[in-house]
Amino acid sequence: MAVMPPKPARNWPLLGGTVAFLVAMTWWSANGIGFSLSELFCNLGAGGRLLSESWPPDFSFLPRLVGPFMETINIAIIGTVVGGILAIPMSVLAARNLSLGRIIWFADRNFMNVLRTLPDLFWAMLFASAVGFGPIAGALALSVFSTAVISKLWSESLESIDMGMPEAVRACGGTWLQMVQFGAIPQALQHYVSYSLYAFELNVRSAMVLGLVGAGGIGMILETQRSIFEYERVTMIILSVLVAVLIIEQISESIRKRLA
Amino acid sequence: MNNNASAGAIRFTDANIVYPNGTVGMKDLNLEIKPGEFVVVVGSSGAGKSTLLRAVNGLNRLTSGAVEVDGQAVPQKEGRELRLLRKRVGMIFQDFRLVKRLTVLSNVLIGRLAHVPGWRAMLNLWPAHDKEVAMKALERVGITEKAWVKASQLSGGQQQRVGIARALAQEPAIILADEPVASLDPVTTHQIMKDLVRINRELGITTLVNLHFLDLARQYGQRIIGLRFGELVYDGSAATVTDDDFRDIYGRDFTEDDVLSEDEAR
Repeated sequence: MAVMPPKPARNWPLLGGTVAFLVAMTWWSANGIGFSLSELFCNLGAGGRLLSESWPPDFSFLPRLVGPFMETINIAIIGTVVGGILAIPMSVLAARNLSLGRIIWFADRNFMNVLRTLPDLFWAMLFASAVGFGPIAGALALSVFSTAVISKLWSESLESIDMGMPEAVRACGGTWLQMVQFGAIPQALQHYVSYSLYAFELNVRSAMVLGLVGAGGIGMILETQRSIFEYERVTMIILSVLVAVLIIEQISESIRKRLA
Repeated sequence: MNNNASAGAIRFTDANIVYPNGTVGMKDLNLEIKPGEFVVVVGSSGAGKSTLLRAVNGLNRLTSGAVEVDGQAVPQKEGRELRLLRKRVGMIFQDFRLVKRLTVLSNVLIGRLAHVPGWRAMLNLWPAHDKEVAMKALERVGITEKAWVKASQLSGGQQQRVGIARALAQEPAIILADEPVASLDPVTTHQIMKDLVRINRELGITTLVNLHFLDLARQYGQRIIGLRFGELVYDGSAATVTDDDFRDIYGRDFTEDDVLSEDEAR
């Protein structure tokens, strides 16, 4: 038998302390939100009633979903296109190798971070108070959201390009803009398309959630039907959303794979 | 095609370049190159060959001294003045530097960027005249038939020809070729060198070529400039340069790594 070195002693205080800490955190949080297992079991019956009321899905409701569904897609498309366009200058100025000086780079980078940190729901609320609840507010919110997503990802692609070509454009007497257009962007174009499609996928999902807070589209219908207890219709909506999102993601993903 | 035959003079006066990390790229350089000369710059790696070329079009800035093109100081900061100078100075790179996913013609048209209004270039609405210049440049390097082919589908030698055509499309007074054959095989190397010499003879464009192969320098150079640690250590005719001169430039005996064809090594 091979001679094993003596097994190092376990750090029992550390292990015990970690477990105790996690238990305490969970207990504190459960109390904080009034969560108790006994109540959960008592209420299971109500949950079961809800489920049985939600089945079968109301297929006759399907035709009435087409309009709102298109509206959701429209919100997502507008958001992606506007965001995609705004993301181009945002990304270039946030790429250290291309930006116009440290100050602009720093300002743009931080502006981008602020945009990204605030959730899309926040932007929807903000725009709703500016232009009223509805699809426009949703589209504006998603424009900001897409700008943030695409520029964050794409500025990193731009930072990793080979600077030889941009230098060659400079050496021909090209301007900064020409250096970016002819020397830098062609190298990262595939990434741009890929990230824009990715943003579109996120936007379709977000557009549905934004509907719940009044930004129009399928989410709004879902909220209305739920509030009048039409659970079989709610099931129908959820099912159609599931199918639609899966299809869109499959298409987008297959395009992105082909680009990569 | 070229109306700058009488221009293209370069003059360095007490020029120095020290890089931020302290490396000396150029030391007290005084050098005069006449319009239409074909100059080969040799030296071991790190001797300042690229630094010399890149100082001519302002890609490298001088620490002190002056560099002039046709009597005008090369501007030492980005801006309109420098762009106007670069418009007249074509550059050819070791790694070709083409946009791979664009056509050959689009790549050559990049050489016309400084000649057309900005909005035209931006929208890809190139004037007929500029397309004509680009096609003529391709004709001169003999790959007109590749105009609509993507640059990524060309061989190394063909890609370098596109690089030359892009420089020619600028209708330059000076061509700077920074190790133009270092990524090419021996046969292609000779073709590209011959192209450069022929263009120099036909159009009278002042040409500076960095080479690290001694036999190529001797074979194609008209005038040879030797650099060592950023200093000019040799300046003379390619016809009379001796092995001893090369030994001085390199600061060591040279080996078969310093020549392209094996029979020249001795």
